[in-house]
Amino acid sequence: MATKQTRYEALVKALHSDLYRYAYWLCHDKQVAEDLVQETFLRAWRALDSLKDEKAAKSWLITILRRENARRFERKRFEMSEYEEATICDSKATGAEQQIENDWLREKIAKMPEEYREPLVLQVIGGFSGEEISQMLSLNKNTVMTRLFRARNQLKEALDEQPKLRGQHNG
Amino acid sequence: MDDLQFRRNIYADPNTSDSDTLAAKHSDPAKRKFAEELAQLDQQIAQALNIDVPDDLSEKLILRQSLASHQQQKKRKRIKLALAASVTFVIGLTVQQLQFSHAYSSIADYAIAHTNHEAIYFSNQDEAKVSLASLNKKMASFNGSFSEQIGELIMADYCRFDGTKSLHLVFKGRSSPVNVFIVPDSEHLAFSKDFANDALSGFASQFNQSNIIVVGDKNEPLKQWQQKINQNIRWST
Repeated sequence: MATKQTRYEALVKALHSDLYRYAYWLCHDKQVAEDLVQETFLRAWRALDSLKDEKAAKSWLITILRRENARRFERKRFEMSEYEEATICDSKATGAEQQIENDWLREKIAKMPEEYREPLVLQVIGGFSGEEISQMLSLNKNTVMTRLFRARNQLKEALDEQPKLRGQHNG
Repeated sequence: MDDLQFRRNIYADPNTSDSDTLAAKHSDPAKRKFAEELAQLDQQIAQALNIDVPDDLSEKLILRQSLASHQQQKKRKRIKLALAASVTFVIGLTVQQLQFSHAYSSIADYAIAHTNHEAIYFSNQDEAKVSLASLNKKMASFNGSFSEQIGELIMADYCRFDGTKSLHLVFKGRSSPVNVFIVPDSEHLAFSKDFANDALSGFASQFNQSNIIVVGDKNEPLKQWQQKINQNIRWST
């Protein structure tokens, strides 16, 4: 019992940030993201004995979270097309210039189609390889790589056009 | 590696470990520059994706889990208690059933079981040593008496067998002992006039308050024994 508890706590401490961020980029809502993470860890606790390999913990948790997120849609249909810019997270650590850039980038990421965003989040936050992502999302590896390419491509192109946009904002 | 493929690879994964892509990067300054640009973009993306995590989230997660498992434990404890109570209850019922119920439902079963149970204690060679007087003394508690000695009586004693108090008489037979039981009439024993199994047979007679059962080896003239007893027995009210 005690060992299960310590195992669980270690899992929470090590992975809750990544999981929360992933959840946030899945649902764009801090509160929902928190709920999702709570639900995920509760399920993880119940099934903790089935987790044999600690190295697989992160992808295991992400799988649970994705299922939990899908369940949310079964229960209730959210209008995901209405994306409110006010809900974008802001971070205070970075400087003003960086801050604006972050916000701008976040908005772009948030508006990106889900199928591009999810592999990107898994790669950048989760640190998963293309192979692992393709398993998690049950997709062909080539498809994943193409989506990752398009995701970055979109962001890069947007960034290259950015000065004009920002100029308009400021002016 | 052509430029397009290189760009595709770098776009898909700026930190790629693909050896061809890495080799291409090192051999061409333009490619290297592009890769660096993309690495920078990736840093920006990572920074953008790294939104703030609520400070107390991990504490909340641990708290919620301990609350949930506490509740589960409580539920489990309750189930265990209920289970223990049920088991105790069933044991109680069984013990009561065993203690207060009778293993035999008819006079035949009872008499044969009783005979078999005590057969080893008697043999036909035993000395007959019970007098009519002492027999009648014992018969008194069944409100009965014998008018004369009906045979060689090896033993006469009260037996409590299967919860029923009875008088067990063992007479010397032709080749094996003949058992006579005087059993008070009771509801749980069904009366049957005659009965038998492989080795033993028996005859029963019903009187006001008691039954007299004669049991012995099939070869013994049990019917005669029964007649003799019935002629000699006297019941006081």
